[in-house]
Amino acid sequence: MKRITSLLVCLLLFGFSAAFGQNIQIKGTVTSAEDGSTLPGVTVSVPGTTIGVLTDVNGAYTISVPSVTENLDFSFMGMKSQTVAVSGRQVIDVVMEFETYKLDEVVVTALGIKREKREVTYQTQKVDDDEILKVAPTRAASALAGKVAGLQINSQDNGVNPNTQITLRGFRSISGSNSATVVIDGSIASLGALDDLNPNDIADINILKGANAAALYGSKASNGALIVTTKKGATNQRFTVGLSSAYTIEKVAYMPDFQTEYGTGWEGAYDNIENTNWGPRFDGTMRQIGPTLPDGTFQEVPYAPVKDNLLDFFESGNTLSNTVYVSGGDASSTFYISAGQQKSDGIVPEDEYARYTFRANASKKIGKLELAFNSTYFSDNTNVVADEIGDQSRQLYWFLLNTSANIPLSRYKNWRTDKWATPDTYYNGYYESPYWAVGTNRNIDDSRRLMANMAVSYDILPWMKLTARAAMNNSWGFGKEWRAEQKFAEYRTGNSDVSSYVEDTKYQNQDYNFDAILNITRDVTDKISLNVNLGGTNQTQNTYYTRIRANNLSIPDFYDISNGTGTPETEEDDSEYINYGFFGDFTVGYGKFLYLNFSGRNDWTSTLAKGNNSYFYPAFGLSFVITDALPSLQNRILSFAKITASNSTVFNDLAPYEINERYSQQLGFPFGEINGFALSTTTVDANIKKERINTTEIGLDLGFLDNRITFDASYYITKTTDLITSITPSIASGAASFRTNIGELSNKGFEATLGGRLIEWSGLTWDMSVNYTTTTTKVVKITEDIKEVTLATVAGGLAGVYAIVDEVYPQIKASSYLRDPQGRLVIDPSSGTPRETTAFKKLGRANPKHIVGLNTSLAFKGFSVSATMDYRTGHVYFDQGSDQMEFTGRSMASVSANRQDFVIPNSVIETSPGVYVENTDIAITGGRQSYWTDVYNNVKENYVIDATALKLREVAVDYTLPAKLLNKTPLTKVRIGFIARNLMTWLPAENHFSDPEFGNQYSNSNIVGISGFLQMPPTRSFGFTLNLEF
Amino acid sequence: MKKLFKYIFLLPALLIVPSCSEDYLDINTDPNNPTSVTPDLALPVAQHLTATYLLLNNRVNTLGNLLMYNWGQTDGYAWYPDEFKYLVTSSFYQTCFNTAYQNPLKQFQTLDRPDDPTYDNYTAISMIMKSYIFQILVDMYGDIPYSEALQRSKLAAPKYDDAQTIYEDLIVKLDEAINLINNASESALVPDIDDAMFGGDMDEWIKFANSVKLRILVRQSDMEGRAGYIQEQMNVIIAEGSGFITADVGINPGYRKEVDKQSPLWDSYAQDANGSDVMNGKATCATPFVIDLLTNTNDPRIDRIYEKPANGHLGVPQGLLDYDTPVKDAYEVDKVSNLGPGVLKSYDQDAVIFHLSDSYLLQAEAVLKGFMTGDAKSLFNKGITASFKHLGLTEAQAATYVNQVLPLVNWDITPAGDRLEAIITQRYIALNSLDAIQSWFDYNRTGFPSDLPISLLAVGVHDDRPVRLMYPSSERSSNPDNVPAQPDPFTVKIFWAQ
Repeated sequence: MKRITSLLVCLLLFGFSAAFGQNIQIKGTVTSAEDGSTLPGVTVSVPGTTIGVLTDVNGAYTISVPSVTENLDFSFMGMKSQTVAVSGRQVIDVVMEFETYKLDEVVVTALGIKREKREVTYQTQKVDDDEILKVAPTRAASALAGKVAGLQINSQDNGVNPNTQITLRGFRSISGSNSATVVIDGSIASLGALDDLNPNDIADINILKGANAAALYGSKASNGALIVTTKKGATNQRFTVGLSSAYTIEKVAYMPDFQTEYGTGWEGAYDNIENTNWGPRFDGTMRQIGPTLPDGTFQEVPYAPVKDNLLDFFESGNTLSNTVYVSGGDASSTFYISAGQQKSDGIVPEDEYARYTFRANASKKIGKLELAFNSTYFSDNTNVVADEIGDQSRQLYWFLLNTSANIPLSRYKNWRTDKWATPDTYYNGYYESPYWAVGTNRNIDDSRRLMANMAVSYDILPWMKLTARAAMNNSWGFGKEWRAEQKFAEYRTGNSDVSSYVEDTKYQNQDYNFDAILNITRDVTDKISLNVNLGGTNQTQNTYYTRIRANNLSIPDFYDISNGTGTPETEEDDSEYINYGFFGDFTVGYGKFLYLNFSGRNDWTSTLAKGNNSYFYPAFGLSFVITDALPSLQNRILSFAKITASNSTVFNDLAPYEINERYSQQLGFPFGEINGFALSTTTVDANIKKERINTTEIGLDLGFLDNRITFDASYYITKTTDLITSITPSIASGAASFRTNIGELSNKGFEATLGGRLIEWSGLTWDMSVNYTTTTTKVVKITEDIKEVTLATVAGGLAGVYAIVDEVYPQIKASSYLRDPQGRLVIDPSSGTPRETTAFKKLGRANPKHIVGLNTSLAFKGFSVSATMDYRTGHVYFDQGSDQMEFTGRSMASVSANRQDFVIPNSVIETSPGVYVENTDIAITGGRQSYWTDVYNNVKENYVIDATALKLREVAVDYTLPAKLLNKTPLTKVRIGFIARNLMTWLPAENHFSDPEFGNQYSNSNIVGISGFLQMPPTRSFGFTLNLEF
Repeated sequence: MKKLFKYIFLLPALLIVPSCSEDYLDINTDPNNPTSVTPDLALPVAQHLTATYLLLNNRVNTLGNLLMYNWGQTDGYAWYPDEFKYLVTSSFYQTCFNTAYQNPLKQFQTLDRPDDPTYDNYTAISMIMKSYIFQILVDMYGDIPYSEALQRSKLAAPKYDDAQTIYEDLIVKLDEAINLINNASESALVPDIDDAMFGGDMDEWIKFANSVKLRILVRQSDMEGRAGYIQEQMNVIIAEGSGFITADVGINPGYRKEVDKQSPLWDSYAQDANGSDVMNGKATCATPFVIDLLTNTNDPRIDRIYEKPANGHLGVPQGLLDYDTPVKDAYEVDKVSNLGPGVLKSYDQDAVIFHLSDSYLLQAEAVLKGFMTGDAKSLFNKGITASFKHLGLTEAQAATYVNQVLPLVNWDITPAGDRLEAIITQRYIALNSLDAIQSWFDYNRTGFPSDLPISLLAVGVHDDRPVRLMYPSSERSSNPDNVPAQPDPFTVKIFWAQ
């Protein structure tokens, strides 16, 4: 450490004067290994100093260096960097090779065990910091979308503090988690911990795609893992100070498609206070909107659509982020320190977010002992509009969506003062002004996280090493949410008065992980190598949550619990979890081309009854490098070939306390001295146990043209048995859900990545990689009696997400039209209205069948352009927004027949059972309104739509200044970039509403495919990045 | 130094190894939720859940009022589109089925412990209340899960029992409950304030049990060949000797003006805990039929059931689409008769689940049909008087009303052949807005009140209102082997009306 300190002081004081003393001149020419051509623009520099030059058009350079200089660095984008010893020479010619695929890349696997890629018997993929940081994401997870085969990242909303869902290889469980495990610096963390990391601090993320890769994690293994490694600094790295900044602007990308032909009204008649749009056709005349005031005045506006009236409500958001980092290292120690700050204003007026991150990582080697310490502190503050607005406790977007096309919404910004913008005078009688909502409903949250990780390792023998790690991941937070009271004037009809509340929440989660591993790496003979890991691990998790809510506050604008009247509502939820296990992992290698792996882990968990709480997780794997075993297969085209096969069995654990039926205090109780507890509507199988997941995977890795082009593919089959599932029993059993081990799921998938360098010519490189994922989960069996499990229903129970036997899971089902064998709608001859099927119809899978990701990057002399796209298709989603807006007459469908009665095209009448005659003359009734609100809107099939989306997720253009220009400055690196996120989205025509990637938040995260009005409209962002290093 | 390293390595080992200790993992006890509770903590919940099951908006009583044309819809509110279309589907009012089993019945079942003598009184209460609720379920659905119901994890798919068999067993269960009370063991706990209905007065429970039996028997009184059974069972009630209820049977754990603690009917249709009028109340108003019926009979209850607007009472026909023809804004909220002060009394009003008026009028019918001795006229007038009193009117006002020279109002001038119609019509008025589901059952059984209109949206589609509800779709998926084929909800009546 002393050495680092002195280095630091030295650099600070004398850093820029390193050139003092005697200088010598070195010159030379740099050429390409491939064709001997000279290379211009190669950076030639002295390591650890700011001295550097570029080669000229002829590949020649001349550099003046201190006589003590030992080495010169030669670097050029797309080529292998070289460090060449000076050794007293004055002419140094260098031949540079193009960078090729690193076959002997080291993979960080489960529990931080590093392995050569050739040894690995399952599929992994690495994403490094450059790819993560390309478009300056505020969350690392969002930067993975489209980049990894088998990985699905869903941004579930786009608030200032968004939620993300990470799924690897689809679904394996109905009620258990299907989210990938997150491991940071070797210790199990959480998705929240990943979100709270400063993306600038991440060195790389290794994605272990399946249970086979993660088997050593026991019950945390089933969904694969993201192995995150933070930046550490390197030994003998010169002292570097850097700044990364980004400024982005966020704008609403697109609004729902709405009709703009009809305005406020009901059943064809104009109505001045309606939120619905069943009025007459727009005619441009002046009409009253809103109430008549007691003085007789009222507001008039033209009865005509106002362009972008809802869009104008949204502001342009912006995010500024800065990270300062310092890193370096000497021969035995490394360090990395950073501080980051982010400040965002959202697209919703007054939505704000701020966060601060700090990191300190250090390591020190003392002889055979190595100590490492990694730590981070995170703090943020979110201040957004609350979501229990108005007398109906609705979300903000609802108030916007219920604003007719003829309302000049942005006029009502000054809701406290402007005559027609106040709560009493605002036009809409049912849904108050969104501006008022923003001002009178707030949700303010502070959260904190402290993570630290200490590792000690000791080389007992040259081939035996013991590592012990202790990690903590603590997060806590406080929230305050409030709503102001609003009493309305007598003349205002429609909505009721709004009551006030204040709600305080607190949470604290404490996770501790300890593990110890003994590693043995030995070449037993020339041919046979052995790698053994033995160890133990212990995990404890404590959670604590309280909520207290006081209603009907006495003093206006005073948001303290003491201000409430009546008994405050309270809630407390604590839990404790312990798990420990011992494991062994054995790999035997033969001739560096054949590797056999066996691993086993035995776990004990606190969530199951004594005697029933121990589980063994076995895994086997094989890796065979064909091209090394049979070198004759290697030729100019095929340079590398490896096959892998593996199988693992893991078990999904239960959550704490799930094995018992429980009582809880009934809503409303206590009534004074009378307290009351209700038996839960969830009943539990007395013999419940863990669910079992067995996965078999085969993989193929190929390299072509000296590994300039690579192809990785894998196919897997997962079988989940003894599913821990909350099935829906007959309600008459007295329970609404029954938690038991039941049924079987089968999950099959294929994924492939094809990547390579398309062009490599005179310093120009063009890389491209395409990845493809398909994964399908089917419900094989539930029980003899029960053929489906309901995960969630919406739309008054008329649509939902289900697990249905023999169908792809999760499946969307909804009320639907009765159709004849030719698919024509069968109508009721007495009314002309379409008939509905008695049972809901299965309408499709809720997660994509195909995901294609495309990454490309073009580089030339410091310039680089890159882009990421992804395409998801083969799935449907329930468009809750369009469903809800049908009632208001805002939908495109509601104007498709000009608000007239009409004969449904392609409809038939069933004249006798099975006999269908085309209907040419029986029209529907209520075309003016009630057909749409009461008939069409009841058929939820109308809102289950194609969820296909093609997104241009990332575009980055950046330029790194040549070192020559920085010669006379303290800077060693200057990179500026233009970035854009979610620049373009292409959706099918039938999707009128929003981004199908969004999803409502459910406590069971497997409920996907329902979204709409709870999320704000999708946005796109663009901005600039700057990276400086000294 | 070297020694120190050794200890560093021991540290994690120490943390990992405590497995050896047996209780290290013994932490799976939920600190926030008990796994068992004493009966005094379960009973008030079961009773409160009965009140909310019946009286919250969009539950049983709402259904009754809408099907029986008591309630219309105010201009500006699209509150009851499916109800006005009689759109009886497997999702229509499925809460009538689901909530019953999931809330009150489930909770009462935890108190049903016939093998535990300390639970004798609680078991009896549980049996009486379950019988009360099961009858309503049979009356809405016909065959339902009964003998195998409420077994939770032990029986996820209970069979459906025959409606009439259930009816007979309800009588058996009510008799058992009365016996259990009369012969409760010495160790039996006696409920106290935790009994939100009778405060632990077990004699009142027996009277209530007899009244439920009366309702069950009278419901079957129009069935062919059933007179013998009814008579036999009526004799058991008379012989038991405790008689029927003597006051409205209400549930009140201590309702108060606080969020989630108000009396359900008030909370649903009057004001929230902040004192603001709720939307359901604004959206709901009288129909012209009831306004006319009450006006034509000079019934002072009109101003108690409905709130009188400044320009006089006004009802809205069910299923009206165009609210502005012939008069624009004629049906706005301040111009129509919303629910009145006799129905919505206060935030702490009892949630009445069996009205005294109902009990008297059932007795009147039993006497009229010869199943019971007594004075039918007196019982008829007592029923009307109880209704007046419940709504906040006086006995004198009731007397004035019943003495008018009006058939169906005045017992004496009502021809003997129309006296059943008089009883049913008076029950219809007495239970308007309060317990209207009973009127729907009466209507399906007797066709009274006469000339009850149907919703405008059902005209041309249905001849009359539905006679039963459809089993919820969840039963089709979660109990497919047991749920019966769905009888037509408009033509296939419940067994007692066939």
